[in-house]
Amino acid sequence: MKDLCLHALDVAKGKGATYADARIVRLRNQYIMTEDERVSGIQDSDSIGIGVRVIADGAWGFAASAILDKGEVERVASQAVEIARASALAKAPDGLKWAEEPVHEGVFKTPVKKDPFTVPLEAKINLLMAANKEILNVAGVKKAHSHMRFIGEHRYLANTEGSMIESETTTSTATIQATAVSDETAKSRYFEAHPMNIGYEHIEATPLVAEATRVGEEAVAQLTGKPCPVGKKDLVLHPSHLALTMHESIGHATELDRVLGMEESLAGSSFATIDFLGNLKYGAPIMNIVCDNAMPFGLASRGWDDDCVEGQRWNVIKDGILVDYQTGREVCHAIDAKRSRGSCRADSWASIPIVRQSNIGLEPGKEDLTLDELIADTKDGIYIEGMGSFSIDQKRQNFQFGGDCFWEIKDGKKGAILKDVTYQAITTEFWGSLDAICDKRFWTPHGVLNCGKGDPMQVARMSHGSAPARFRQINVGGATK
Amino acid sequence: MNESEAKLILDKVLGSADADAVVVGLGGGTEASTRFADNLITQNVYQNNVSLRVSCAYGESHGSAVTNDLGDESLKNVVQRAQEIAKVSPPDPEYMPPVEAAETAKYPEVKSYCESTLGYDPMSKAKDIAAAAKTVAAKNLRLSGAYGTDYGFSAVANSDGLRAYHRSTGAEIHATVLSPTGSGWAEKMSNDSADIEVEKVVGEALRIGENSQDPQDSEAGKYTVILRPAALAEMLMFMFWGGFDAKATDEGRTFLRGKLGTKVCGDNVTLRSDPSEKRCPGNPFQGDGMVSPALNWLKDGVVENLAYSRYWAKKQGKKPTGMPSNIIMDGGGKSVDELVAGTDRGILVTRFWYIRFVDPMVPLVTGMTRDGLFMIEGGKVTKPIRHMRFNEKLLDVLGRITELGEPERTGEYISMLVPTVKIRDFNFTSTTKF
Repeated sequence: MKDLCLHALDVAKGKGATYADARIVRLRNQYIMTEDERVSGIQDSDSIGIGVRVIADGAWGFAASAILDKGEVERVASQAVEIARASALAKAPDGLKWAEEPVHEGVFKTPVKKDPFTVPLEAKINLLMAANKEILNVAGVKKAHSHMRFIGEHRYLANTEGSMIESETTTSTATIQATAVSDETAKSRYFEAHPMNIGYEHIEATPLVAEATRVGEEAVAQLTGKPCPVGKKDLVLHPSHLALTMHESIGHATELDRVLGMEESLAGSSFATIDFLGNLKYGAPIMNIVCDNAMPFGLASRGWDDDCVEGQRWNVIKDGILVDYQTGREVCHAIDAKRSRGSCRADSWASIPIVRQSNIGLEPGKEDLTLDELIADTKDGIYIEGMGSFSIDQKRQNFQFGGDCFWEIKDGKKGAILKDVTYQAITTEFWGSLDAICDKRFWTPHGVLNCGKGDPMQVARMSHGSAPARFRQINVGGATK
Repeated sequence: MNESEAKLILDKVLGSADADAVVVGLGGGTEASTRFADNLITQNVYQNNVSLRVSCAYGESHGSAVTNDLGDESLKNVVQRAQEIAKVSPPDPEYMPPVEAAETAKYPEVKSYCESTLGYDPMSKAKDIAAAAKTVAAKNLRLSGAYGTDYGFSAVANSDGLRAYHRSTGAEIHATVLSPTGSGWAEKMSNDSADIEVEKVVGEALRIGENSQDPQDSEAGKYTVILRPAALAEMLMFMFWGGFDAKATDEGRTFLRGKLGTKVCGDNVTLRSDPSEKRCPGNPFQGDGMVSPALNWLKDGVVENLAYSRYWAKKQGKKPTGMPSNIIMDGGGKSVDELVAGTDRGILVTRFWYIRFVDPMVPLVTGMTRDGLFMIEGGKVTKPIRHMRFNEKLLDVLGRITELGEPERTGEYISMLVPTVKIRDFNFTSTTKF
């Protein structure tokens, strides 16, 4: 594989490329789905190919093929150069600015104790079936769904600067879901072994069966839950919920390619423009947002990104102020950064690397604070777990989120389950209302596997960790006005 | 890959499997996309890929495996993996045997392959985009977007003798023109790239972008709206993601439960599928070889059909339909200008963004407007306004359509033909900053 990558680079250089990288990736996916007492589907897929990215005549070209022989690799490398020459018809007058990066050679592997692809299917099916059985035993539950998903990515990446890296990442997750049905409506509730780069030991350590009854009961309770109040409430948000709020309102807004307008026509841009760098009050002074592509078990942790830049840890928001962005080598010059932050990834061998969210999360509070204590300190609020409805404008300002399960907080006590809760805010006003974060004992790395961006659309995964946090006086219930 | 090349591979796979029943699907092709931003080409990509899916069954135990490597060793491995999965899977009470070979007689003729699209190479595309970018740059505005062309084929074979093959091409451009304080957007899609005039599409985005500068404050509330096809199409997708699955509906888990045969929205709403529709052709067959549905989902506001899998149809004594390969909403004859002229006070919506279910059982959806939102007063577009969020009950919205314009091809996820519509009392719930 390394030889094929190097051969592609030689061909590209010979055709006139001034920079080239070649990436061979094998991507494995195993997806086991169940419904009630049946296995509704098992998808086991394997995809391999090469993508060659070049700069020629000062412009980009990229070509990819599933055929891995020398002749095809030569064709693909030549085609990438031809495409770059077409791109040069509308290129930047002062050329591409490609940030420097030391040459890297090395191997990265997700620390895996138990390879999920070697665990027998029967064991996985039995575990999901056991959880479904518990869910279906709950009166009022009419449907149990559960699934496991494993992703294995083996990458060889070489560039004309001399970098040659290899990475093997393994992602594991499992979810159980109950749906309760009444004469009026239906409500669902889920619980997951949240997605991480880790082995099957993560699935075994997550109490999927033990939590199944609670999950079913909370689905049923939502059928008759009190409706969402309308007005302002304090929100206590669990990490399983806050992950998506951070993803949408911070993660995307601080991708530098979006900020520069490179995603304008599809995913959109960002209100957090460069003129705000160093002075935008993104949130309260206790808000510290850290990106960490070297984080153990992080979904975006892979040693080096697809620009061959080493994984790093840095603040994009410090003490509530916007201080940096998530960058790739092509765009970091825009903020006068000498080095990329290493946030450029492609979702397969067939896709071109684009700026992607890192493992990005909220730092825990510095003072000891438990979730129980945070709720006890809240007079009139709502506690939210899990991800639900989510929508945000293309500059990442006006958002509306739901969740998976909601509880009333009255006079410091977690009370009755609510249903259909939504909250609405403007990003900076929302984060400005953050007034308490639980301490590091309660920090957990949730994340997403299906972040869509790019054109053609690419789907990426990244972790979003936090501890439970409280936001004061947020508008709730506006969806039903 | 042509039909005989595909058949060779499919037959090879079928011949190497020893399962009781085998279904093999082979699809793939090429995709070329040129992306642009800030009047420059920023990304220019080409990919060539295939996907081979092998599904095997022993009795009612089944499993499938997928590969993109068509080498002999890989073909053997993928069959072996599918068979191993099938052998350890418990019997599935919903398993259905392969589709009968006679199904192919039902396939409609679908013409969606155009040689001219294949011949439209990256250099030709770059020339067209560069010329359009120059026009936009001359006005000190910023053009971004993407122009993609593709060639695809899909083939199915099974152990019952079914053989199916279809090929198609596609071309799609969407363009955004940014002014310092506003933006405009336009799109065009066709199976034939010769139908697409880049300057014309960019010109429309430019017109909207220029008109959207310096938006005035908007105020949340209920308005008559004129939704352009892209906006309505995005909403309509939530009908299909949430509602028409027959099993989920019969089990009480969708908003159409108990509604088959009843009226759920206005008389003027007919939603249908027809893969042979020339203006937005679909695939003639589905992944298992079953013919793609040509039927009404809603007819004059009444739920006429749900989407039945072969299993659920058998259990319920219905005819299987499978899922749609295209979606068509019948329109009226009015132009956008005529719809605007007949509106005393309202809002013209270019498109929506980030629509999501708030409650799929209502169904209640939320989303934002994007790339050109305009006030209509006295039958004229009078000013651009800041973007807004809506929260709306989807069936109610389809019950408040007062006028329909001419259908246009659109659809981000599936080929669609959708008109511009006028809707009364559309519920905007908040505003944003731009």
